[in-house]
Amino acid sequence: MKIVVASSFVPFVDGGGRFIVEWLAERLRAEGHAVERIYLPFVDTPATMMEQTLAYRLIDVAQSADRLIAIRPPAHVIPHPNKVLWFIHHFRAFYDLWDSEYRSVPDRPESHALRRRLWHMDDIALREARRVLTISKVVAKRLLDFNRVPAEVVYPPLHRPEQFRCEAYGDEILCFSRVEHHKRQDLLLEAMRFVRSPVKLRLCGTGLSPTYHRSLLETVRRHGLHERVAIDYRWLREEEKIELFAHALAIAYVPFDEDGVGYSALEAAPARKTVVTTSDSGAVVELVEDGVNGYVLPPDPAAIAGAFDRLYLDRAQARRMGEAHAAHVGGMNITWDRVLERMLG
Amino acid sequence: MKVLVVNNMAPFVWGGAEELAENLVRRLNATPGVESELLRLPFQWEPVERLPLEIYIHRTFRLHNTDRVIALKFPAYLVPHERKTLWLLHQFRQAYDHGRGETHIPDTDRGREIRRLIRENDVACFRDSAKIFVNSEITRRRLEANTGMTGEVLLAPMNDPELFAGGEADGYVFAGGRINRAKRQHLLVEAMRYVRSGVRLVVAGPPDAPADGERLHRLVREHGLDGHVTLDLRLMTRAEVARYVNGALACAYLPFEEDSVGYVTMEAFTAAKPVLTVTDSGGVLVIVADGQTGWVVAPEPPALAAALDAAMIQRRRTAEMGAAARAAWRELDVTWPSTIARLLS
Repeated sequence: MKIVVASSFVPFVDGGGRFIVEWLAERLRAEGHAVERIYLPFVDTPATMMEQTLAYRLIDVAQSADRLIAIRPPAHVIPHPNKVLWFIHHFRAFYDLWDSEYRSVPDRPESHALRRRLWHMDDIALREARRVLTISKVVAKRLLDFNRVPAEVVYPPLHRPEQFRCEAYGDEILCFSRVEHHKRQDLLLEAMRFVRSPVKLRLCGTGLSPTYHRSLLETVRRHGLHERVAIDYRWLREEEKIELFAHALAIAYVPFDEDGVGYSALEAAPARKTVVTTSDSGAVVELVEDGVNGYVLPPDPAAIAGAFDRLYLDRAQARRMGEAHAAHVGGMNITWDRVLERMLG
Repeated sequence: MKVLVVNNMAPFVWGGAEELAENLVRRLNATPGVESELLRLPFQWEPVERLPLEIYIHRTFRLHNTDRVIALKFPAYLVPHERKTLWLLHQFRQAYDHGRGETHIPDTDRGREIRRLIRENDVACFRDSAKIFVNSEITRRRLEANTGMTGEVLLAPMNDPELFAGGEADGYVFAGGRINRAKRQHLLVEAMRYVRSGVRLVVAGPPDAPADGERLHRLVREHGLDGHVTLDLRLMTRAEVARYVNGALACAYLPFEEDSVGYVTMEAFTAAKPVLTVTDSGGVLVIVADGQTGWVVAPEPPALAAALDAAMIQRRRTAEMGAAARAAWRELDVTWPSTIARLLS
């Protein structure tokens, strides 16, 4: 089959949205399909986003491809008689964040008009798809609540989970994530002020906001956390990452209200590490049962510090919960076989 | 500096332009201080009513997080960006070639309107571009004739010049590249009926269609040229191509009105082999000078035969022209480092 996998992207930014396209394309090719990846630019400024979306709508890949798999919006509006969506998020400023402080558009009549048009467009694009898959229960619920479209949850698998291993439960809590405001690495640094054991924290990753990175460095300096906090602000090679996971005590991932479960929470499973997260982190809590295979805590530095200390002081428990995470995620059938079956079946 | 290379694509089609775009990105990434990515925008030119839509689509896309754009083709170069350099592989010839049967745009009111739209957009875009390079003298002339705009010729370099080191000449003339009617390898085979010097001909490359290969085999059979003509009709590795070139007396390349110099010519000149070509071969003539770096003869078998004989009989002269060809090529400095430097200047 000739399959186009289409997505929007921001040039020179890697992230979950791009990995999902690359890995999916690779798996489809391995099954013998001809695959073409199409990344289209998109800038989500309210003034032009509707016109940009119209450009997507006018694209013709129906003549050349047997099937279209659309990932990141507004790729979902590209027309095709055999379209499958793996819907990763809404334009949330116009959906669940509309009535929150995170709304990025001013409260003016034209914003309301734009919102109505976006909803209408989504309703059409979602309904014309042959199947709507999505990456988490959080996003599935939004699709149902806002668009009244039932969607099937297909968690994005890791590229090669078998590469991960566990060698020790060391002294270090590891947070492996893009460094952005909503990923809340600052919350973890605050937590480190409250720990009473010699537990350590390592933050790995880069981001687009130099000011946020600077503020993290400033927090470390202000509170004299040098001894116990390491910040690797760079893109780490896969082998380095696997090595860090292999020796970590546990994995921390505390973003604010994310759509996806987060790759680091998935990677924790084959590395047999437990996950520390917060109740307002979004989809990641779909993977974690509090006290069983991880901690789901209030977004409160002292509470997080308490969990860090417990894991440090009781390695047997860190191990037990890590094993439980491996078993729990292992039982969820998050595999490429299932993805392909749902994409192509 | 973030440099985005912008090209068009037809899903599931791969050719020389795609190859060039990927190599350009690779070379840019190897340049200190430069980060590069390729944006491939789908372009569907049929039916003709797609053309106005494609112009709209490309003009509507928005780019951010990009310092510079290098655009290669219509309509990719219409994507707005404030710092845009063009390296034109070609314009959309269908909009410019009058009465030459090369267009699918009908000569109706609507057809003329669409042509006008393409030209207006071309001119506006060229005016706004920081700099216009073109990939050949022919493209430069067309650009000037069509739009009055001036372009600077920037040939696309080879990726593996080190393979074409030259070598001892065996008694054959080599005709490489894709095999098809427009590249006219059949004229060379027919010329072999008239040679008297014992020179051999080796034709090697992938036929575009099976019929293109069969045509040559039939000619060899009909004229009893076995033993004088070797046909090795398949896609070869670069090392295999280089071996044929390095061992040849001279190379032959007879495309009909080709835009560019052609990789076959570049390979020959790099290996210090003169090139046999014809008076209507287009861009090849920019660099092949009759009696100095090769032979330029009428596209007729007897004339070609005379040149093939000359290559064999006047071997010292042939070698001298080969040395002159290599010197002329080095003088042009068509290498990736200087190409990148000019594109970023």
